[in-house]
Amino acid sequence: MMRLVLALFVACSLVGSPLRADPHVHGTLAPAALPGGSVYQLKLRLEPAAGPSLPLASFRGRPLVVTMFYSTCTTVCPMLALAMSRTAAALTSEERAGTSFLLVSFDAGRDTPAKLAEYQASHHLEAPTFVVAHASAGDVRALAAALGIRYRQLPDGSFSHASIITLLDRDGVPVTRTQVLAAEDEGFVASLREALKRP
Amino acid sequence: MRALLAVLLAALAALAAAAVGAERARIPEGDFTPVVAPGTNQKDVHVAAFELDRTPVTNADYLAFVRAHPEWARGVTPALLADAQYLAHWAGPTTLGRDADPEQPVTHVSWFAARAYCEAAGARLPTWYEWEYVAAADERQRDARQDPAYRERILSWYAQPSSRRLPPVGKTPPNVYGVLDLHGVIWEWVEDFGGLMISGDSRTQGDPDKLQYCGAGALSAEIRDDYPVLMRMALLSSLEAHFTTRNLGFRCARGGSQ
Repeated sequence: MMRLVLALFVACSLVGSPLRADPHVHGTLAPAALPGGSVYQLKLRLEPAAGPSLPLASFRGRPLVVTMFYSTCTTVCPMLALAMSRTAAALTSEERAGTSFLLVSFDAGRDTPAKLAEYQASHHLEAPTFVVAHASAGDVRALAAALGIRYRQLPDGSFSHASIITLLDRDGVPVTRTQVLAAEDEGFVASLREALKRP
Repeated sequence: MRALLAVLLAALAALAAAAVGAERARIPEGDFTPVVAPGTNQKDVHVAAFELDRTPVTNADYLAFVRAHPEWARGVTPALLADAQYLAHWAGPTTLGRDADPEQPVTHVSWFAARAYCEAAGARLPTWYEWEYVAAADERQRDARQDPAYRERILSWYAQPSSRRLPPVGKTPPNVYGVLDLHGVIWEWVEDFGGLMISGDSRTQGDPDKLQYCGAGALSAEIRDDYPVLMRMALLSSLEAHFTTRNLGFRCARGGSQ
């Protein structure tokens, strides 16, 4: 019995102490710390029109062009979708393959993933470059707040909302944003190319 | 027997709930006319019954939260979720010090932080309509907004310098619902602070010149001379979710429809 206790004690001190003494042993294995200003600091989940649910932070590692919309919006939202497509079309196929485009619906109640799948198809937003996603009402509020997109649901169920397209770098830090929807925003596309060049 | 058991269980649950967090007031459902109309052809909103903390969250309450959730300690919370002034008046990350009395309302907290606190308490932030509905009351009436004395009192608070030391919570007279400190102490975060001043007219959404706010036209204020509420809405609308200020705190709500 005594020998067993002693053996355990030795084993613990051998295994336990080096780890405790040098926290960097762990640090080297973990991914680099997320910048404080990264939108991926939000712990929220998306339910894409196609595929399983995923954390927002799963876009980390590639530049992300993100906006918020809702599918029954007939006025500005089609222009938002068009502006996203236009930005994607301005890239080379190689650049496009390295970028993600995300549209998250304000309408947590009615824009189910199935509804969004219809929207994605009818607006020719091709997967996997484009992700059209549902999120819970609480997560929609948090994401809109982090992106500075103000909105309000009106009594008829529609939404009054700011139309803003944001570029996040590989770590999720906002780089630039645009409200130009009617034509290509060349400055935005240039910023996206810059973000693609950076590791 | 089963009914008796159910009653006992309900009573136990109520006791357990009452033991945690701030005291709450039960707010009955009702219709009211908010200062800014919800939509083009609609003046009134229906507020479902809900519960609201009687007083704002205090420094002591928030300190207990930070101890239990170290990711919300000053210096640890990322910049996305709280600016550099987060809890700046505390002596240390888990020390209140001389500039933060335990019974004062906690301020220098962001919307994200306020939300996390309420969520940890099994609650949520109130919506603007819930807040405005309860704040329309005085000690005797559910809607005192047309009463000159009610307005005078609120405006006199606005006239005070914001550099004064915050009073402890619970020192103002309770309104008819038993809720205190809605006026005269601090500004309070609400869940939907970002959308308050957006026009309710969705028809303007297609105008490319107004795309920024998708209809940031003139607001159709129903009660145009209700400056206290309009001022509060203007202040909240000017904030961003990571902002913190020395006069901005919060309280939590439960139940209701959101």
